Amino acid sequence: MAPADICELNLAELSRLIAARALSSSEAVKAALTRLERLEDKLNAFITIPRERALAEAKEAENEIVRGHYRGPLHGIPVTIKDLFETAGVRTTAGSKILAEWVPETDSAVVERLHAAGAIIIGKTNLDEFGHGGTSTLSHFGPVHNPWNIDRIAGGSSGGSAAAVATGIGPLSYGTETGSSVRRPASYCGIVGFKPTFGIISRHGSFRGAWSQDHVGLFARSVKDITLGLDPVAGYDARDPASVHQETPAYTARLDANMKGQRVGVLRRFLEGVKPEVRQAFDAALQVLAGAGCEIGDLDVPELNYAAMTSMMTSSAESAGINRRWFRERHQDFVPHVSRGIAVGMTITASEYLTVQRARHRIREALRATYEKVDIIASPTTGKVAPLLSDGVKGNGDDTRHASYNHSNLLRFPSMLGLPGCSLPCGMNTENLPIGMQLIGAWFADQTVLNMAFAYQSATDWHTRRPAIASA
Amino acid sequence: MKNTDKLASRLALLEEVSLSPADVESIIKDIEDNERVVAELEEFSQGIPWVTMQLQPTDKKG
Repeated sequence: MAPADICELNLAELSRLIAARALSSSEAVKAALTRLERLEDKLNAFITIPRERALAEAKEAENEIVRGHYRGPLHGIPVTIKDLFETAGVRTTAGSKILAEWVPETDSAVVERLHAAGAIIIGKTNLDEFGHGGTSTLSHFGPVHNPWNIDRIAGGSSGGSAAAVATGIGPLSYGTETGSSVRRPASYCGIVGFKPTFGIISRHGSFRGAWSQDHVGLFARSVKDITLGLDPVAGYDARDPASVHQETPAYTARLDANMKGQRVGVLRRFLEGVKPEVRQAFDAALQVLAGAGCEIGDLDVPELNYAAMTSMMTSSAESAGINRRWFRERHQDFVPHVSRGIAVGMTITASEYLTVQRARHRIREALRATYEKVDIIASPTTGKVAPLLSDGVKGNGDDTRHASYNHSNLLRFPSMLGLPGCSLPCGMNTENLPIGMQLIGAWFADQTVLNMAFAYQSATDWHTRRPAIASA
Repeated sequence: MKNTDKLASRLALLEEVSLSPADVESIIKDIEDNERVVAELEEFSQGIPWVTMQLQPTDKKG
């Protein structure tokens, strides 16, 4: 099989071929590295590429499989990870100058589990510094470019991971989300992004943006690939205080496209500022869900007017707490926009932070009542397609400063409340830029979210579109 | 406390850090925004219980 064809395979297909020894791990890893090296000048999606180490691990995986020691669907598969996850012996920069040469001695929990599953980490992806941003332009290592149009942003903060998966540089990537850092880049780059319920995946050994909102999430081109990547990394870990006890993950085995009777709520009043092309694609997606058996109905949760500002204030205060020491000692080494954000966070008082947490509690209770009436809240992931790089950090058009029915509330509430959410492609605009829909479930209804996304993908082909740059 | 004093007390939290005048100007604007946001959230959260932050060992029984 030609290397370019290998890169077009989904994880499920690649895994099947490797298990059957019809394709070797070395071939898969070399194909992904070749594509990475061809596109990196255009995308700037990576910070570190442990090429030789990846090739050696691929050879080892190949030998194990030949000897009959097949570990499962990630064995021998090239994957990428956001450069917020600590990797023993491989530098971990968090997109910062401060850690530009830091080489950890231990692995993060996600990396430990990926190694145990036999996955091969071929690259550490670019991001907004310490995950503080929504554009992936705030990196010490320069901005990530969107593969559908390199003059546009990939979204952040996990933009490098999204750009990599969209272009077939590995079928799977792991990122993190504090505000919208998995779902937004997934939407802008035309792929699937999933973040589970808070506590499902351990965050041990990954840098914190804001401890009460940080999640590990995944990127892939299909929902089935997301579940294949989720099963090996989900599970309790005592080293993460937020980790939850859970049964053995079996998200792939429980994928089910039967949607009969599933209730989908739409918060229409929050869609007024959404671009017409995005609303049109979203409305068409709702029709698909209705056709699959879902009951669609309108909802109003006015408490969500306060979601973006509550989330933003929480992030700001917590990230200032996390970065306090570095900020005092090396504030000039931060990306200027990030540095100013930390400075503002340091001026939030304890009583103000606690007031914000009361507001958060009120919003959580409103959502708890809402999920008695619906199984899923659906919306466009973002109010518009990927903005131009030249629009800068304001290009996303978010409003996190005012209580109102603006769409950014829909983007921010899932991470603030720890709800499972999936963004998946649901259309293209006239400039051939992807449009995403997000499905948000109740706490621990991760399987419901994944099943609905799976049902949608079973009835549509948006997820099969690829940016031209990938095959050029 | 006068507004100017409140602002000065917040900026004092950053006194160990030397910031450019442009940075200070931008930070002041954001602080003023935050004060408005907190006031709105305070109103919004009236009557809501304070969040319990107590952490008890999960392996001990009373």
